[in-house]
Amino acid sequence: MSVITINNLKKEYSSKSFSKNKILALDGVSFDVGEGEIFGLLGPNGAGKTTLIKILLGITFPTSGGGKLFGKELNDVKVKTRIGYLPENHSFPSYFSGEQVLYHFGKLSGMNPGDVIRKADEYLNIVGMNEWRKIKIRKYSKGMMQRIGLAQAMINNPDLIFLDEPTDGVDPIGRKEIRDVLLTLKSQGKTIFLNSHLLSEIEMICDRVAILNKGLLVKEGRVEDITSTDSYAFVTSDLNDEAYNSLLNNYKAVIQSKNSFLVPANNLEEVNTIIDFLRSKNVMIQSVAKEKITLESKFINLIEHKL
Amino acid sequence: MELLTFISGIIREAFAKKIILSIFIFFSLIILFIVFAATNDSVAGMLTFLEASGGNADYRSAVIYFESNISSKIPMFMLTAFYLIIVSSFIPSMLQKGHIDLLLSKPISRTKIVLGHLIAGTTFAFLSSFFLLGIIWLIVSFKTGVWHIPFLYSILWFTLIFLVLYSFVILIGLLTKNTILNILINLILFFPLSWIFYLLNLVTKKGEQFFSFGAVTEFIIKFFYYILPKPWDLADLCENTIKVEALGSIQPIISSILFIGIMISLSIWYFNKKDY
Repeated sequence: MSVITINNLKKEYSSKSFSKNKILALDGVSFDVGEGEIFGLLGPNGAGKTTLIKILLGITFPTSGGGKLFGKELNDVKVKTRIGYLPENHSFPSYFSGEQVLYHFGKLSGMNPGDVIRKADEYLNIVGMNEWRKIKIRKYSKGMMQRIGLAQAMINNPDLIFLDEPTDGVDPIGRKEIRDVLLTLKSQGKTIFLNSHLLSEIEMICDRVAILNKGLLVKEGRVEDITSTDSYAFVTSDLNDEAYNSLLNNYKAVIQSKNSFLVPANNLEEVNTIIDFLRSKNVMIQSVAKEKITLESKFINLIEHKL
Repeated sequence: MELLTFISGIIREAFAKKIILSIFIFFSLIILFIVFAATNDSVAGMLTFLEASGGNADYRSAVIYFESNISSKIPMFMLTAFYLIIVSSFIPSMLQKGHIDLLLSKPISRTKIVLGHLIAGTTFAFLSSFFLLGIIWLIVSFKTGVWHIPFLYSILWFTLIFLVLYSFVILIGLLTKNTILNILINLILFFPLSWIFYLLNLVTKKGEQFFSFGAVTEFIIKFFYYILPKPWDLADLCENTIKVEALGSIQPIISSILFIGIMISLSIWYFNKKDY
């Protein structure tokens, strides 16, 4: 079942008040996010990522097109009781303490006071902010603000959580802790919509990603599909001259060293043909694996080709 | 539940920004002043003044005259201007980037957010006026022995005057997102703009036996008089209520309620279509 459905979404902004010049922030974007997925939204600055999240949450309105959350129209206020949101550069009232942030936004999310207090205790522990709960948030570091922001996004036990740069300003250990929290949420069946510049993190935890550039959806799919290539990496015993020359000339291999090389192959039959050839040349095979590129490399390739 | 939380958030903000504390200090100073001013000598002075004005005055009417002066235009102007200055930051503060995003992601409609501000502001004005005018009434009543209940109606009049101007504060706050600009525009509307048209309207009504503005000028004066808020007319009605005199025309009450309705409707319409 689709938790998020986006259909031909378009958003234009006027460059200045009363100006006829329009800036196209989103240009006919469509995709779905399934239940229980961690979905990553990628793109360079100004690609339209935050605009997309804001439209889904009813903070900004689309110029045309639309979408649904849990099968309900985007302007349905009640559906927001099932949603948590951590905005980029969020600004909580500075006179609140950490626990007051959770109490206030929990109650605004429609929770009753008893549940808010119980859940606040639980999530302050999960994000490692229990010791700081009574301290005014104006004294918090950036990383601590992100942790409280994350707890705030989870306080109403939402089924769908939007996180805009959740690890921004968080140290590597904190990032790992946040990743673990997200994976725990996923194991509980929650759907997470993640917007982050840290592609390595996205690659580590996301099931699927969408890549936006200048308002256009340039790629969407499973992370392993996006990062896979049509090459196979072989590790073998040292190649003899005959095998070496044949791999280079007949199989278009990219030789990396005397015992490792990449060979393009469209299917398993071709891979097995190469294995048979190597065995016939008395080359011992240690491993064969489908070659992958990092999400970052793929992202840069896609964006640079489109720019 | 969400609306109550939102309203309590605004009141909490007022506490955090020391707004409640400054009101308490300001009002305590006024109350102290009244403690010293409300003496038998002052009432005697009022009595002499009323007798000199040709009225059939007694001690009770002198006390009522003293009370009506407390709720007259100048104190009303000072109190309302004070309220306007302190509440003008509420909307711009809510619209701060990062805060408004979070608020709009919660299951509370934009219409309820505007109404929540209106309710919170009105409650705040009512309670603080109740505190100030209630204590003043107690002091004057204890000191003079005259327990004049209609003075307490001024709490409702002051709240209505505040509400009229606050509805405009909400609209300008949404349009400008700027506290200083909000204060300036609202103070200009309050004084001198609505004051000038209040006076011009009085002149067109009472001065017609001596001179005439001409049809076009009179139309312009009437036009602006009717579309602008009428705190000064409401202050007149407040004085009449305290003096237990005939209320006169209720046109300022009807046009003020219409003004509140239009300003809040415009605010809701604008807020409901605005991208943040």
